[in-house]
Amino acid sequence: MLLKEPGKSLRNDLMGILRSKFFISAALFAVVSSLLAMVRFGNIAPTDFPIRTWTGWAIEDFLSDKQGRPNVVFMGSSLVLVPVAGVDADYLKHPIDGSRHHQSQYFEDQFQKHSGVKVKTFNFGLPGEMPSDAFLITKFLLKGEKRPDVIVYGVGPRDFMDSLLPSPAATDPYQYLSRFGDVTSHKHLIAPEWDQRLNFELGHLFYPYGHSYDISVTADRAVTAALDKILPAPKTDKPYTIAQRRLLFPQYKQMEIANNEACFRPTTPEQRTFDNANMKEYKKRYSRLNWRTFTHQMKFLADLMNTARDRGTQVILISMPITDLNRDLLEKGTWDSYKKSLKVLAQSKGASYLDLGDSKDFSLSDFMDTVHLHSGGGVKLLDKLAEKAASDHKVMSALDPTESSIAGLKGGQL
Amino acid sequence: MLFNSLQYLVFLPTVFLLFWLTPHRFRVPLLLVASYVFYMSWRPIYGILIFGLTLANFLLVPFIEKATEQKNKKIILGFTVALNLIVLGIFKYAYFTMDAVKTTLGTVGIDWSAPHLHIILPLGISFFVFEFIHYAIEVYRGKPVVKNFLDFALFPSFFPTQIAGPIKRYQDFVPQLHIPVKFKWEYVDEGMQLILMGLAKKVLIADNLALVVQAGFAHPEQFSSLDMWMITYAFAFQIFFDFAGYTDIARGSSLLFGYKVPINFNLPYIASNVSDFWRRWHISLSTWLRDYLFIPLGGSRGGKWLTYRNLFITMALGGLWHGAAFHFLAWGAYQGIVLILHREYEAVMQKIGVHEKLLQSKVYHWASVVFTFHVVCIGWVFFRADDMKIAGQVLSKLFEAPTALLHFSASQLAVLQIRDPIIFPALVLILPTLMVSTFVVNWLNNKKFYQSPPWAVQVTVMVALMCLLTIFTPDSSPRFIYFQF
Repeated sequence: MLLKEPGKSLRNDLMGILRSKFFISAALFAVVSSLLAMVRFGNIAPTDFPIRTWTGWAIEDFLSDKQGRPNVVFMGSSLVLVPVAGVDADYLKHPIDGSRHHQSQYFEDQFQKHSGVKVKTFNFGLPGEMPSDAFLITKFLLKGEKRPDVIVYGVGPRDFMDSLLPSPAATDPYQYLSRFGDVTSHKHLIAPEWDQRLNFELGHLFYPYGHSYDISVTADRAVTAALDKILPAPKTDKPYTIAQRRLLFPQYKQMEIANNEACFRPTTPEQRTFDNANMKEYKKRYSRLNWRTFTHQMKFLADLMNTARDRGTQVILISMPITDLNRDLLEKGTWDSYKKSLKVLAQSKGASYLDLGDSKDFSLSDFMDTVHLHSGGGVKLLDKLAEKAASDHKVMSALDPTESSIAGLKGGQL
Repeated sequence: MLFNSLQYLVFLPTVFLLFWLTPHRFRVPLLLVASYVFYMSWRPIYGILIFGLTLANFLLVPFIEKATEQKNKKIILGFTVALNLIVLGIFKYAYFTMDAVKTTLGTVGIDWSAPHLHIILPLGISFFVFEFIHYAIEVYRGKPVVKNFLDFALFPSFFPTQIAGPIKRYQDFVPQLHIPVKFKWEYVDEGMQLILMGLAKKVLIADNLALVVQAGFAHPEQFSSLDMWMITYAFAFQIFFDFAGYTDIARGSSLLFGYKVPINFNLPYIASNVSDFWRRWHISLSTWLRDYLFIPLGGSRGGKWLTYRNLFITMALGGLWHGAAFHFLAWGAYQGIVLILHREYEAVMQKIGVHEKLLQSKVYHWASVVFTFHVVCIGWVFFRADDMKIAGQVLSKLFEAPTALLHFSASQLAVLQIRDPIIFPALVLILPTLMVSTFVVNWLNNKKFYQSPPWAVQVTVMVALMCLLTIFTPDSSPRFIYFQF
């Protein structure tokens, strides 16, 4: 037995530990880890994106000087991204590059028509964006010189009850956004399972583990540079293309998109057809509803609203329209819980609420599939939003530079 | 539960601590519970399967011992082996058999719609079924039965070796359970060194090579002949480091409890002929095939042609053991053929009286090593390809190499064009390094370096591996290749 004769055995065991090559190695590893942390070995800037995904393009564009300060920021998943970009393609009558175009020209014009106020928009809608991601965008990016007056956040039931999502840390936006600040305060929500939490804590305890992404990117770049010198790519009339890479490694850098790769093209009403192909996918997403995911994502939404309110930004929360077909896939009672939670939350946090979830103004012909509005439906959505925002006192106050009191806070405090 | 998972990082130290804090008589029950937790963490229902087979073998095999007449012993042995093989057959070969029947019927114009059975292959079934068969045959040959059910139940289910071996021998394993082992820090040192080395082999080498291999075998048309050779070499090292990595972790995990399990590899790529290769590759399987298939078939006792027949059947069935698919069968058959050809070659060399000095020269030895490695690599094509069609495509590319070499230019190499992921151009440096490292390790072995490596070297290697593994372990590492078998 390990501890048979307490006094002597304990002493022997302690001596054994001190002589154990494994324990000495583990202690040395801890020392090396601390040293690497001190020099921030291999650290790369959060704005340094080794892979350009929707998130990377959006963040880079948002932080660029040419963007200035937007008045209105749109957030949401593809439920927001797709119709907002699609509408602009129709409106501007030319293809829109999803990686570059991050505004809603149509909304800006409609809002000006309704309110007489000219605003600048930024569309931070990202595929798969969850409230946890929207919270990180708000907390880390929508501040200081980039603080918007209004956040328009469109949500759907999937954002709160996606059973295919292992944890909030599993999304592409999280990978990039979490690099902009400390997320420790939300670790119980980000890593709810014991193994996820262990992973999180190990990352904080051991620098090489927590910064493995940074260090491996740095190493990869160093090796690439060295190999380019030692073994330069031979000159050929058939250079290697990104399409070839996608064919050969479908799993590698899956989320990457190149410029002009995800384009929204102008459409005519005849081209906007409905397809219920994503029913199967949503059946899976809505199966085995995890109430903990639901409450955690609601908590992120609440924290988003708190953060925005503390900074003097008015939030417009939209329950996005979805089809009856999709709603019927939800377990009994979940739709009501979802709607009720949104309403209560918006009220308690002083947010404006636009409930279009089961609005009769939207029919099947406004959708491209069971959840996404096409550009025709998008026009309806943005019209309603522009009308609502223009008539909402809190929104108009937030947008008026002379009006400095929002949700009880003075401009100087913001 | 995977060895390269956070769950195992918690599971193993927990079982380790409990084991050494528990009195000796409770250690087997503790390991048994831990092993079933380990197994059932994947699909709890399959715990019933391994338990049922364990119980059946525990109850049946003593009848072999008790039977007084040889004929009765044979009948009970046959029944026990058949039971194990039927279970293996249902879970592993049902689809394969139905597909073969469907194809055969199709050739005579009968359209048979095979039923869909929804069978999921239980992890490790091929390994524990082989352990049960070994036990039954050894008892038939006169070895004693295991009287204690808990000891017997731990033999196939022991979690470090449960999923992909090494295939243990009960005479080696069960007696270790009775020794009241005292804790030694050497167990931790040696065990953890093996575990770290195993993880490094898997995560740092095998998983990176897997990216290249996957691309090459999915789209051979995108690569030149010379590329395909490199990709085939890459697979040779991928499968070695993947499986040897698993075995190291299994052996290291066992050692933490003071138990030794057999080695599975002995530098297989320095083998100087295919027979030598099979003495170095997956040793626990090749010795099992020798003892429980080749020898019962008649071994080398019936003259040349019967020996060749036995060799061919043994290797072909060995191939099929790896997976229920024609390309595995082809791989096994290929191994059988090259083993037969090697025997013929040796016989011819002896007959024509090639100078002894030439056969024993270093040049001949190293040329044989290089040649054997390539023969083995060609076999790996059957093993890795998803089907025979892909295997055919890859092989035809490989055989274009002489022409390609005559008109060689770097622009032929797609691996140099692909700069992202960087493993592709790096392959040109990595593969020779891996090849050379095999010889360096062999040289160090001969110098008895591993028997008492310097303290500082061991500690430095462990710290380096800890750093590298924490940095480069991906979020989702692929499963060990041998888990599918």
